[in-house]
Amino acid sequence: MSLQKQQILNKEIESFDFQSGGEASSDLKNILRKLGVPSAIVRKTAIITYELEMNVVIHSLGGEITALISEDELEIRVDDSGPGIEDLDKAFTAGFSTASDEIREMGFGAGMGLVNVKRYADQIDVKSSKDDGTHVKVIINLAN
Amino acid sequence: MTKKHSVLLKEEKCEGCTNCVKGCPTKAIRVHQGKAWIKEDLCIDCAECIRACEYHAKYTKTDQLDQIMESSEYPVLLIPPSFYSQFSAGIPAQKIKKSIINLGFEAVFDVADAAAALSRKTLDFLNNNSGNYISTSCPVIVRLIKLQYPDLIEMLIPLKSPVELIAERVERKLKEEKNIDPDIFFLTPCPAKLTTVKRAIGQNKSFLTGAIGVENIYQKIYESLADIELEEKEDQLISLATIWGSEGGEEGILRSWQELNTLSVSGIKKAKKLLNEIERNNIPEAIRYFEITSCVDGCIGGVLNVINPFQAQFNLEERIKKIRQITQEHNLVLKKEDDEFYNFALSQKITADNISKLDSNFKKAMQKLEQLQKEIDILPGLDCAACGAPDCKTFAEDVINERASRTDCIFMLRKQLSRLADDLSILANELPPVMASKKEEADDS
Repeated sequence: MSLQKQQILNKEIESFDFQSGGEASSDLKNILRKLGVPSAIVRKTAIITYELEMNVVIHSLGGEITALISEDELEIRVDDSGPGIEDLDKAFTAGFSTASDEIREMGFGAGMGLVNVKRYADQIDVKSSKDDGTHVKVIINLAN
Repeated sequence: MTKKHSVLLKEEKCEGCTNCVKGCPTKAIRVHQGKAWIKEDLCIDCAECIRACEYHAKYTKTDQLDQIMESSEYPVLLIPPSFYSQFSAGIPAQKIKKSIINLGFEAVFDVADAAAALSRKTLDFLNNNSGNYISTSCPVIVRLIKLQYPDLIEMLIPLKSPVELIAERVERKLKEEKNIDPDIFFLTPCPAKLTTVKRAIGQNKSFLTGAIGVENIYQKIYESLADIELEEKEDQLISLATIWGSEGGEEGILRSWQELNTLSVSGIKKAKKLLNEIERNNIPEAIRYFEITSCVDGCIGGVLNVINPFQAQFNLEERIKKIRQITQEHNLVLKKEDDEFYNFALSQKITADNISKLDSNFKKAMQKLEQLQKEIDILPGLDCAACGAPDCKTFAEDVINERASRTDCIFMLRKQLSRLADDLSILANELPPVMASKKEEADDS
């Protein structure tokens, strides 16, 4: 068990809100810089949060992103209210995407979202169901 | 204390408005006591404040011609590609160079020559290394990355800028050939290159002695042009890399040699947007090279230039056409044989300017972060800048770092005054003891 984590970010994300999509990851990036987190970790975090944030914007009915930190760990939780991921294994397959043509035209939906998150995260846990939406928990180690 | 930067404040002209404060991309300016002070460690010399100031209170002090001529025994001048945009393409480059020599310089050199060599080296580098890279030619962009995007430092291509490349070469050449130790000056279109003289990027020390602003000598050159006669039909050929002077020039050269995915962006606002997207991996990986310049339109948009950027763009394009013509007529290719004389590699690693952290101790930084959030919550969030900071969040940070007091915010001041007024009225309504009734006195005792 790690040290008590403190919440440093909590932001609502609205479905299809491409205007503010990306704000949470920018905010978190700035907060981590203020805390003196090494830049390589800040970059990883920016990539992960942006992916997860945009997943909520593109695929869900809306949700929220929360970040908690202790001296040795950063935890990012992204919770949305549905409709859930049908096949989790497929979601972690490179190139697999359920995004509509419309979304793809915007440059999203390359099927690398969760794949990239997994690549940069130290731990990842995804729970998803039709009734309860998708809940992603990512851990990034801060201690060397 | 010597100034680290080249953008300065003319105190007597500053009205204390907050136009520059709001326009600064790194939030480096605060108005205190009616004057807009630049925080040196945040300034990246982008000159946005010079552009924003209607009172011309922000300026750049470059070297003066007469001082150079007085103090230097062997001054030479490096001419940037963008300088040619300041003249109509009908004026031979040779004439412009002669006119500079007539000002007292011993020799002049074209930075474009080094730019061409650098482009070849860049292509070589990209072909031999995987990954995506950012040009280091614009010192503002390099400083911006050091300051606000430290995680992108590894993307900066580890090669010298064309100015430093040619300066080093000229120094070595004159030493070897004539045993002369020259003073090398750069004819600069922007304050950022001037700062580079004092603080070189990725090098222990700059090879430049100083920099002189285009505006400082333009008039003299322009006026003397008519009197200059070229001895014979002197070769007007300057490098095709003169195209580097405007946005897209660097990538244009690269792509003229090889099919390559590149992207060019100019203007600091756009640059920041691009860097944000790069940082969150939201840019196609296929883009191998980014040419980013801080000034809109590239170096021709530099604040020390004289000609407006639209005319400058036209002039440069016309000149490029001419150069192309000559190159084709004489069947010339950009020379390659002298590339080995350049020393491309940076001698030092480019490092981050870690100044955004609240405290070096994590626990203390967390405490401060909490304080900061509280401070932000009580502020009005109007970002009116009347406190002298660009926005409420930045002001809150100044407050918790004890660089500003909460009542510098007029809304907080008003709140405090209103509380004070309430207290006053309560106090005023309290009767002094001599006027209190006898009964009360009796009760008290």
